[in-house]
Amino acid sequence: MSSKNIETDASLDYQVPLIRGNPTFASITESVSKVTEAKTTKEWFVLFGFFSSLTMIMIGSIGYLIWEGTGIWGLNNPVGWGWAIVNFVFWVGIGHAGTLISAVLFLFHQKWRTSINRFAEAMTIFAVICALVFPGIHVGRIWAVYYFFPIPNQMDMWPNFRSPLLWDFFAVGTYFTVSFMFWYTGLIPDLATLRDRATNKIRKLILGVAALGWRGGNKQWKHYELAYLLLAGLSTPLVLSVHSVVSTDFATSVIPGWHTTIFPPYFVAGAIFSGFAMVMTLAIIARKIYNLEHIITITHLENMNKVILLTGMMVGYSYSMEFFIAWYSGNPYESFAFVNRAFGQYAWAYWIMVSCNVIVPQIFWFRKLRRSIPVMFVASIFVNIGMWFERFVIIVTTLAKDFLPSAWDYFSPTIWDVSLMIGVFGLFFTLFLLFIKHLPMVAMAELKGVLPQADPHFGHDGHEGESK
Amino acid sequence: MKEIQKNITGKQYWRSMDQLADTPEFKEFLEREFPENASEMTNPVSRRKFLGLMGASIAFAGLASCRRPVEKIVPYVKAPENVIPGIPQYYATTATLGAHAYGLVVESHGGRPTKIEGNEKHPSSQGKTNTFLQAEILNLYDPDRAKEITHDGETSDWASFVSFWKEKHAGFIESKGEGLAIVSGEFSSPTLYGLYTTFKKVFPKALWVVDEPIDYSNLYDGIKVATGKLLRPNHHLEKAKIVVSIDNDFLGTAQESVASNMGFASARRVESENDDMNRLYVVESAFSITGGMADHRKQLSQTQIEGFTRQLAAEFNIIDSTAEIVETVWMKALVADLKKNKGNTLIFAGHRQSAATHALVYAINAALNNNGSTVTYHDDQYAVLEGTTLSEFASNAQTGKINSVVMLATNPVYSAVSDINITAALDKIENKISFAAHKDETASVANWLIPQSHFLESWADASAVDGTLSVAQPLIQPLYNSKSITEVLNVIVNAEDKKGHSLVKETWKGLLKTASLGKPWRKILHDGVYTSSNSVAIPSKNSAIAELVSSTKLNNSSLSKDNLEVVFYTSPSVYDGRYANNGWMQEAPDPVTKLCWDNAALINPKTAQALGVNTKDLITLSANGATMEIVVSVTPGVADNVVALELGFGRENLGRIADGVGFNVNVLRNSAGKHSAAGAKITPTGRTYPLANTQDHSSMEGRPLIREATLDEYRKEPNFAPEMVEHPPLKSLWDDYSYEQGYQWAMTIDLNTCTGCNTCLVACQSENNIPVIGKEEVEKGREMHWIRLDRYFAGDIDNPEMVYQPVACQHCENAPCEQVCPVQATLHDEEGLNVMTYNRCVGTRYCANNCPYKVRRFNFFNFTKDYPEQIKMAQNPDVTVRFRGVMEKCTYCTQRLQGAKITAKNEGRQAKDEDYMTACQQACPADAIVFGNLIDPESAIVKAKKQNRNYALLGELNIRPRTTFMAKLRNPNPEIEKLTETVS
Repeated sequence: MSSKNIETDASLDYQVPLIRGNPTFASITESVSKVTEAKTTKEWFVLFGFFSSLTMIMIGSIGYLIWEGTGIWGLNNPVGWGWAIVNFVFWVGIGHAGTLISAVLFLFHQKWRTSINRFAEAMTIFAVICALVFPGIHVGRIWAVYYFFPIPNQMDMWPNFRSPLLWDFFAVGTYFTVSFMFWYTGLIPDLATLRDRATNKIRKLILGVAALGWRGGNKQWKHYELAYLLLAGLSTPLVLSVHSVVSTDFATSVIPGWHTTIFPPYFVAGAIFSGFAMVMTLAIIARKIYNLEHIITITHLENMNKVILLTGMMVGYSYSMEFFIAWYSGNPYESFAFVNRAFGQYAWAYWIMVSCNVIVPQIFWFRKLRRSIPVMFVASIFVNIGMWFERFVIIVTTLAKDFLPSAWDYFSPTIWDVSLMIGVFGLFFTLFLLFIKHLPMVAMAELKGVLPQADPHFGHDGHEGESK
Repeated sequence: MKEIQKNITGKQYWRSMDQLADTPEFKEFLEREFPENASEMTNPVSRRKFLGLMGASIAFAGLASCRRPVEKIVPYVKAPENVIPGIPQYYATTATLGAHAYGLVVESHGGRPTKIEGNEKHPSSQGKTNTFLQAEILNLYDPDRAKEITHDGETSDWASFVSFWKEKHAGFIESKGEGLAIVSGEFSSPTLYGLYTTFKKVFPKALWVVDEPIDYSNLYDGIKVATGKLLRPNHHLEKAKIVVSIDNDFLGTAQESVASNMGFASARRVESENDDMNRLYVVESAFSITGGMADHRKQLSQTQIEGFTRQLAAEFNIIDSTAEIVETVWMKALVADLKKNKGNTLIFAGHRQSAATHALVYAINAALNNNGSTVTYHDDQYAVLEGTTLSEFASNAQTGKINSVVMLATNPVYSAVSDINITAALDKIENKISFAAHKDETASVANWLIPQSHFLESWADASAVDGTLSVAQPLIQPLYNSKSITEVLNVIVNAEDKKGHSLVKETWKGLLKTASLGKPWRKILHDGVYTSSNSVAIPSKNSAIAELVSSTKLNNSSLSKDNLEVVFYTSPSVYDGRYANNGWMQEAPDPVTKLCWDNAALINPKTAQALGVNTKDLITLSANGATMEIVVSVTPGVADNVVALELGFGRENLGRIADGVGFNVNVLRNSAGKHSAAGAKITPTGRTYPLANTQDHSSMEGRPLIREATLDEYRKEPNFAPEMVEHPPLKSLWDDYSYEQGYQWAMTIDLNTCTGCNTCLVACQSENNIPVIGKEEVEKGREMHWIRLDRYFAGDIDNPEMVYQPVACQHCENAPCEQVCPVQATLHDEEGLNVMTYNRCVGTRYCANNCPYKVRRFNFFNFTKDYPEQIKMAQNPDVTVRFRGVMEKCTYCTQRLQGAKITAKNEGRQAKDEDYMTACQQACPADAIVFGNLIDPESAIVKAKKQNRNYALLGELNIRPRTTFMAKLRNPNPEIEKLTETVS
């Protein structure tokens, strides 16, 4: 074990190694790869059937939406954005944990990330895919949505570069592209491993193409690691920028409750918070089903719980700061907006948000609870619910009551708001099931790098190449 | 941004209702809480449809874009004379409502009338209109109008009817009209009057029944008693410094509201703190927009109002009365105010008040030297205001004395009071001929239905209240096989088929005393009016008045929650029901309740609390021996223990718009309780009923939105309005566009004269092709009106004030909507207009979210897709009909501005004020809207913006709105002010 590892772990626990059960390189390869190679289980099919049905509901909901118009949703005059944008911000936020785990922790040499980073990155990609469902379809005229793109045209018409929606378009687009490249680059050595293990010709061919001719040579490793480092460097600012840009959708407006400078850091913290909760939910299920408890250990989960506790408190701080500033500014509209959030017609949503996001994570002050699988599972679900409601509170309550009381109204979702949200959850889990079934869900190559035997002699060089 | 604490901070508006009465019941009244059915599915999708959708969704992108409508344009083969495609033509004509005439100028595009404006030369419209007149365009193109002449349900034709009637006619000539009856409304028209006199001559034994659901007979009776003659009063509000309205909604639903609004506004308008303004006292049972304008308002039940007039009359020693309805000091202050302004005051009473009240009003006006000054009386020789009553007709019919009846544009089956069993009476009549615009309740039981032509399809003439005559000329051939009232009556009376045109011309040959109508006739058609006057001065007969008053008993029973009083109101939306199938009127929110697509029983919060009912509760209401179910709307400003009911709703089989909308309250009326009745009872049913309300919140939350002061405060602090909000200097980081060339459009709206009457809203809907979306969509909060009238209540909940603010796009120079649109679909042009490019709009709705005024309207569905052909004809061709998924909003009528600019450019000059007018400005009967070019030093807008009451709504956001408001003023009587201060 490298000294660095010990130092890192020192903050966690002296006794517990990163990977338990003292696995060998071969056993790691075996336990991760066999998931993709074994006969598909009945349970997988049941789950896949269920979630792909939900995905069909999503497709149906989108079809009806496009056929009839956005009027099928509960939107009305002051509340021009409803669940679609709530879901969009929610899913973009979920994605952040993946990037944080894979890129930022990589740059900070947090080696405990290796067990969960593949997982988290996949989650990022799928979450961003889910998020991207919404901006395109929530508009009134979907057939004109290409007006967003800066396409040179004979009319010399360009999108409005002052609009935060356009910034969103670029920010989320960049985010998706970079995240995908980062994820794929990390996958290459593992795809090669799968290719080498493949017994079936077609599988060998497909994986061979996907592995881009990876042979595991020294030079390839050198280039690979440089590329990975660069992409990690590229991804890191995105963790901060994407949700900051998303928050400007609200922060640059004039509407009291949106028009606040605290939004960018507040949104980033919230995104990491919700993302970690989602990783937690998924990892707890996956490690149980695929017997990966020795790879995704309780220590990893505990670390994530600490992050949840920290970001939860940052979010809580933001909530209280919003109130303070609303009072301190002396702006009656702003004061009203926040009092209305907590005590107005949507107070129930506000208190769900506060309970889930601020109160629930406080249980992680206790080591016992931090290391209890059932407790953290339930807590992670609560956090996800709370973060969904945070976006609901920000978007809907603010719009429902702004400057002129005559325009105030109440937003109630329709069945189509609900079906689309459920459907997109279906899409997310469908993609995740496909990922678990067909791709190595743990970064084998990286994981091997943090095993003790990867570093027999030289404490300063943790990444000695081994493709198998 | 801080509200400064000055001596004058304007009105203290309710922060919320519960601040006034902190009980859970009160909390619910105006603030909508978490509704019961949080999610509802409007279009339940069947399984089959769902599967179809699944298939459709696979190909959605391609299919969706196929739905754009394709239109073919066919050019003229032979061009008609004087018609230049794209250039509208304007014709003068006349609309009538009962015996009242309104001169109009109608815009016609390629032979299609599309927009109605007032005729400046006509005394009753003076270039302005009201909501009903604006909505007439849609009545013309109503696809549910009766289209064919039918006989016993079978399609027939005009020739068959004429030959049928000729046979009958011969018989009636012999019997001198025995067994013949005509039921009509009031009218005042030289041609119709001519036919009426012929009828009376040739059928002396026939009955001519005059019945108006909104019945002004008490007014005529009262004046008849006071003067001995059947006269019509004409009020000159521009001359009145003190106005006392006794339950008279003269600014809203009362007849002659256009002229009243004009006059009232001119006496109320101030340009600086040195100007004077009139003072309005109102007593009424439920809020009307007139009550909203009042400087002093008393909420009294109808029985109390009867007593109030006597108390007032006693002060002038007209009668002896001990009635003390309002505090004596209050009354003394009012009387002192009146006496101080002798000759410049005006007292009038509404149509619900008894003949005795009207007679007293006449006497009070006489005592104050108002008769002949602020009110003139007119002997209208062409008017038929009275006739046989409907109940007399019904009893005649019941006894089999009538075998033929012609119902001329009346609908007694719907509107008759409950003690007249009109259906049974009609059953006994052999030949029932209904002349009606729709196959309405009466036409459904008639043998013959003759479709009525719209006034824009017919020749007619009319006499205005002051005697001015005018001609109604058609702008379009009848769309269906319909006939005008003149043509039908001519057949009935003379048994000869003549064109309306020749009938009217014959009359006018007589009027103009000429054998052939030449130039003067053409001038009348061009101008729309022919001036003549019939004003008379008549001394009042005080003894007769006193006699009438003593014979009219005061109801002394005191009201309680078990002895409620019902009051029947003229609907500001559908009048007596005649606008019930008009989508614009149904969707125009009621000025007071902001309800649309329904009527409700209005009860004040206190009474509602005592009764244990709340808004949306269905109740059983019994009055005058009848019972009905109706929904409650808890509305401040209704007198205690009074239930205000709106007429004209609850129609059956009338048309797609009217059917099933609201409740028919006619069933509760009887002959004695036609206007109001005590002894009503309410029992809750425990069920609820959905109501579509365009404004859920009625409190201004203490925000400086509508800025108001009394005249005294204004004089002390002339800049109170702009100074009410203190904010940091409004600076920009950038060099702003200068906006100093060409035209710079801007608007002001004077809240001091705006009454909240909705005329601008309907005018805008007509001008700008704004869709009607229906009750369900309004309930969801998706109403499309480009201009809305924000209504707030202020002051004491048990006797509140009501204020209005029309809000449309403010055309901010630093517009929040423009910055956030990702595709630049909404932009600023160099003339300061915030323009919408529908073609470019993707529909993100971001602009609407970021609009601080929330005036942007989104096409959530393709609202215009399923328009019938007729409705398409009502559209203004100068304005794009918007497609699903685009945002829309007020454009300052950019099409009119472009037209004016083009005309001016062709003439080599700058366009001036007289060249352009927005639709709302043109229609506004109070002239509260001023619009124009900011860099034209002579324009009215430059002068208006210089006034010290001018302020920008939410100006502290540094968005620089082009529309600004003039603060509201009230002019309370200082004596009464002192009184309330000592009380509180």
